[in-house]
Amino acid sequence: MASLSLIANSVALALLFLLGSPVTQASAPSQRGQEIFKLCATCHGNQGEGNQSLAAPAIAGLPQWYLLTQLKNFRSGARGKHPQDAPGLRMGPMARTLKEGDLETIAAFVSQLAPHKLAPISTGTPQRGEEHFQVCIGCHGHDARGEAQLNAPPLRFSNDWYLISQLKNFRSGLRGANGALDPQGASMSAMAQMLPDEEAIRDVVTYISNLKDER
Amino acid sequence: MSVAASHTHEQSFFQKYLFSTDHKIIAMQYLFTGMFMALIGGFFVYVFRMQLAFPGAEVFGYGVVTPGEYNSLVTNHGTVMIFWVAMPVLVAAFGNYLIPLMIGCDDMVFPRLNRLSYQIFLLSAIVLITSFLVPGGGFGGAWTAYPPLSSNPQYSLTPLGSSLWLVAVALEFVAFLLGGINFITTVMNARAPGMKAFDIPIVIWMIVVASIVFMASVGPLVAGAVMLLLDQNFQVGFFDPARGGDPILWQHLFWFFGHPEVYVVLLPAMGIVAEVISVFSRKKLFGYKTIIFTTVGVAVLSFFVWAHHQFVAGIDPRMANVFTITTLLISIPIAEMIFVYIATLYKGSIEFNTAMLFALGFLAEFLIGGVTGIFLGSSGSDIYFHDTYFVIAHFHYTFVPIAIIAVFAGVYYWFPKMFGRHMSETLGQIHFWGTVIPMNVIFIPLFYLGMAGQHRRIFSYENFPELAHPYMQNLRVVATVALIVMILFQIPFFINFFRSIFAGKKAEKNPWKANTLEWTAESPPPHGNFRELPQVYRPPYEYSVAGRSSDFWPQNER
Amino acid sequence: MEHIIAQASTFAESIDTVIWVIALLGGFWLIVAEAILFYLIFKYRRKSHPKAAYITGETDAEKRWIHWPHYLVIVCDLVIIGFSIKVWYDVKQTLPTPDQTIRIIGQQWAWTFVHPGPDNQLDTPDDIITVDELHVQNSATYHFKLESKDVIHSFSVPVFRLKQDAVPGRTITGWFRPTKTGTYDIQCAEMCGLGHGIMGARIFIESPDEHALWIQNSSPVSHVTQQME
Repeated sequence: MASLSLIANSVALALLFLLGSPVTQASAPSQRGQEIFKLCATCHGNQGEGNQSLAAPAIAGLPQWYLLTQLKNFRSGARGKHPQDAPGLRMGPMARTLKEGDLETIAAFVSQLAPHKLAPISTGTPQRGEEHFQVCIGCHGHDARGEAQLNAPPLRFSNDWYLISQLKNFRSGLRGANGALDPQGASMSAMAQMLPDEEAIRDVVTYISNLKDER
Repeated sequence: MSVAASHTHEQSFFQKYLFSTDHKIIAMQYLFTGMFMALIGGFFVYVFRMQLAFPGAEVFGYGVVTPGEYNSLVTNHGTVMIFWVAMPVLVAAFGNYLIPLMIGCDDMVFPRLNRLSYQIFLLSAIVLITSFLVPGGGFGGAWTAYPPLSSNPQYSLTPLGSSLWLVAVALEFVAFLLGGINFITTVMNARAPGMKAFDIPIVIWMIVVASIVFMASVGPLVAGAVMLLLDQNFQVGFFDPARGGDPILWQHLFWFFGHPEVYVVLLPAMGIVAEVISVFSRKKLFGYKTIIFTTVGVAVLSFFVWAHHQFVAGIDPRMANVFTITTLLISIPIAEMIFVYIATLYKGSIEFNTAMLFALGFLAEFLIGGVTGIFLGSSGSDIYFHDTYFVIAHFHYTFVPIAIIAVFAGVYYWFPKMFGRHMSETLGQIHFWGTVIPMNVIFIPLFYLGMAGQHRRIFSYENFPELAHPYMQNLRVVATVALIVMILFQIPFFINFFRSIFAGKKAEKNPWKANTLEWTAESPPPHGNFRELPQVYRPPYEYSVAGRSSDFWPQNER
Repeated sequence: MEHIIAQASTFAESIDTVIWVIALLGGFWLIVAEAILFYLIFKYRRKSHPKAAYITGETDAEKRWIHWPHYLVIVCDLVIIGFSIKVWYDVKQTLPTPDQTIRIIGQQWAWTFVHPGPDNQLDTPDDIITVDELHVQNSATYHFKLESKDVIHSFSVPVFRLKQDAVPGRTITGWFRPTKTGTYDIQCAEMCGLGHGIMGARIFIESPDEHALWIQNSSPVSHVTQQME
């Protein structure tokens, strides 16, 4: 048995040399996407559902343009380069691990994953949150589905703990502080300043995660 | 001692091959399990070397290698090759096969313990293989498993993989503890009448000393493994500074075992080589007692060198001076041992068959491994070389000779005894050159890369401007291609091995005209080994004694 | 070693000297041993030497052949130990008075560097905190305080020949003095998880003028004053 599998492997290896290329030629994008997604799945989960204990948010179903921008931001250091942003510092190297040409592929693949129903865990007051949410509607839409034209991602596919952490980051300059590299982040950073305190952040996120699924 | 004839009753296949207490069958079980695990370890190295040579590309037969998988592959390549290949083959397979035959008794003194040892070992191998397949993937925190990375799933990202890995390693240690007890007791109590301490063949001496070293060093690590398991699963915090623990403690426990472990596998390999070069140069071993004393010297010193793995790990810097001295001291018995082996060839009559070629290849290659070790044992230069590819090249120049080259010397040498047939010489010689030449082509570039500052366990060098240089990348490709060539040249071995078991030329009792007792038994030896238990009259290496018509003088001949 | 990798710190040269001493002494023994091994293999092959001699290697006259080389090995060992401990003492056991002290923090998977800023004091508001970029002044003696936030990392600057593990729960102090301007790699040399393979940083060794300019432009406090003007 042992010899058989070795022979099988060896024959395969020999073929590989005969073909002259150690690398199989470019496979279909989604197949390649599936291959690369193994990297993301380590933290973000096999279906991209996220893992709060690793501070890895749900990514399934986020729009391709947004995923691509964020991957590029992580690669360039526009995001995840602040010394206090520990999860961001972990994501930065992961984004740099990807090859330039694979960014589109992986963004497309993840955007096609089905978004998950996320259990709300934040305990704010949605009524107060609704008031604060009026500011967000301008870009993210009244149902928080996002608007690509305005570079506003959907919010309802994201975990509430993640939204809270990001709003805090935007407010304190851990994210979106670099206007030159990340203009969208910078404008969001300005918007986040309009939430007066942490309680307001909790309220608005509770409101978002309680939005009825109107399709 | 029981009479041999009483053992030769009929056995069912099941009894004979799966639940046997016969030391020869257990040895074969260890040998074949070890060979199978070597295929796994070999496949791992092929995959991650391909990733290093062609980063990001799809590896044929595997697919894209992600960083997590890369870490898991290098971790388990090391783990498998040391704990599931070198240990079972060198210590357990050769120990089990050779000890009763070479000291002239019918079996181990604790045959059931011996069977239990293999069963636990098999279980450990199954647990290890399972750990590659669980969600989250196999453990990727390096074979040294330093906490807090290994103790905290949030850091390692392999919650199941790291625990299963640790359980497998701990089980494996239990298996070898049982084996070790058996080896030592058997050699102490069951030697053939007339066999005094200095009539015991060198390979048996070395396996016994290795077993003693193993048993004396593994205790702290088994304790450490239990502590680490508790840390992983119950957040106990032995190694967690936030809870008053200390991550460096694990390093001491690990390396207190880890460095003696090197000698645990080195000694049986040296023993095999001693037997082979003595027989095929028709020479008495030069300074038999010197070899034994140096063996004991190495064994004792091996307990006092462990912290040379930790020079830059945050230990008290004054400690490094002590360990530099002890580490360089160990070069003295090792150098003496190598000198003795070389001197054995002087005025010999050397026959270049496959077993001898591998034994000589061991000496030539192991010398390189030994000398390059000095760079790492000396604290001053280790500041730079620590955790670079120089270390990788160094220890592969010791472990490949030990676990590959010496093992092949032993397999080619004892094959006629094990299976009653000869292996093909032609295929053997092809296998020898196809193994030894690529081995050098793999590791010489790695020495250079290490000197140029390339660190270990990095899945792609594209992100380090100084290491992404094309000439360095070319060296990586050279090493990878040489590796694949070396793997391909193992095919002749496997063909030779399995064909010869069934269709090789029939071997007589003593085809090499050797002196030791195993050659007085039938080939292959029956259950119970000897028709009549032998009586020993002389030391094992009386070759070319002046005034005798034949150039050998078996231990049991008057 | 210089032609393989640049020497950019004061102790890079002394560490390379140790490496050379070992290479010469070890290389000598390697070549001698391999030469004798191959000579014996060739000379005493069965074709040319069909009848082996009986030599026990137990008499003093025979053992001499082993013992003399063996005493020489001890002498070589002592020389190597001497060189090695001297360098080790200089690099790891002494701390020359620093011109500047920096803090280096390892975490999964980034290096954070805290530079003391214009007042040359750590832990003051004008500290310059950077990620994956270390700026140092050429020919100035540095102390570094090495820490880790999570797992064991190892701060390695190959051109300095410097390596020190960062251990969570401890602050390890070391020193270096750059001797060559330029930009070089910093690597993490201890397996630290998924991103270990990419946990690199760059060290910028600047001339005193460049370095002063960098401090002025980067200090958060000077930014504030500029904005206020």
